[in-house]
Amino acid sequence: MTASARRAHDEDEPGDVRSRILGAAVAEAGRTGLGRLRVDEVARRAGVARATVYRHFPGGRDQLAAEAVTWEVARYFTNLVRLLDGVDDLPDRLEQGLLRGRTLLAEHRVFQKVVDTEPERLLPHLSQSAPLVQAAMRDHLRPYLERARLQPGVDAEEAAEWLARNILSFLVATGGWDLDNPGEVRRLVRDNLLAGIVEPGRPGGNGAAM
Amino acid sequence: MQPAPVTTAPQQRALDAALELVGQQGVGATSLGLVARHAAISRATLYRAFPGGRDQLFVQLGQREVSAILAAVGTAIDQADDLEAAVAGALHTAAQRVQSHAALRYVLAHEPHLAVPFLGFTEMDRLLRVVRRALAPRLARFLDDGAAEWAAEWVARLFLSTLVNPTAEFDLSDRAVCDRLVQRYVGPAFVTSRLTATTDLVPTV
Repeated sequence: MTASARRAHDEDEPGDVRSRILGAAVAEAGRTGLGRLRVDEVARRAGVARATVYRHFPGGRDQLAAEAVTWEVARYFTNLVRLLDGVDDLPDRLEQGLLRGRTLLAEHRVFQKVVDTEPERLLPHLSQSAPLVQAAMRDHLRPYLERARLQPGVDAEEAAEWLARNILSFLVATGGWDLDNPGEVRRLVRDNLLAGIVEPGRPGGNGAAM
Repeated sequence: MQPAPVTTAPQQRALDAALELVGQQGVGATSLGLVARHAAISRATLYRAFPGGRDQLFVQLGQREVSAILAAVGTAIDQADDLEAAVAGALHTAAQRVQSHAALRYVLAHEPHLAVPFLGFTEMDRLLRVVRRALAPRLARFLDDGAAEWAAEWVARLFLSTLVNPTAEFDLSDRAVCDRLVQRYVGPAFVTSRLTATTDLVPTV
């Protein structure tokens, strides 16, 4: 593809080109690390001109790195939500979300490499998108709370924020819990995170389990 | 993060000086020369006190300040009459301590890259371990051992979560907010692990 043909092609579907560049940046970060991300390497991998990368990311490498992390975080949660399709009972959804969310992270090669070798570069980006991620998770959980059998006086909005904060905390650090153990995740979710939220007694909290 | 080692007098003076300087201008601008001048000690003394140089000084300062916050949180737990008050008091004290800590506030606002490693993954797990070790024994007055460890970790998680993402509903510097959150969401989780055997006093429904 010549440079001008490439440009014409780029301008056909700007969203698509942008995603391709971001995907290439994530892959490059897995190869070289976030700190050594290079615009020309990303452009080559994405199959676009260097100028195209700068047109989409005028801030160059730093902007590219920041947006690539945010983009990959969004993709991670999109994948997670897809895996949870059909898991509509609140406690089940939280349990499966934690289990599969941890698995997705463990299987994410780029993430594992970056978190091992340069967490100090990854975490600033992650903490910047944390409020957005938390708000998105709160809004995502709210309808499941509204369908659950809540204890008297529980505010669904606040409880959704409570759960979002806790789930995010457990996704980034397991602490004293073994989150690969479904029994332990079940205890964490049902006996702890939801202890003050859903009515106990009936499995699933809203009586609609399975 | 290891528990803060015993500090010598010149170390103490240097750490106090560094703490003040960081509160005014951050870690990046605080050189050893500046610390020596501010502490009114010679550079030679300073280097003897911290053979590892600037890195050692700041690591030790961080450990000392975290230990101080945890000690204050421990005291708040000791003064509580029940588990809910202990957990709410712990959260509130931690939030207040950070709010009135000029150096920590400077770093969080202007040098976040120095603070964020503790907000996720390996370093956060290490910090959770430090908090469990410091606070679980204090919570053991109300809970059996396993539950006390978890309660201590939960305090740390909630606190860190609000540090990353402060919202009005979760403003832990407001004691009423701490009480409300703990009574609603935390207390009910520990119903079966409480040590005070009051079952025979509770009327059966």
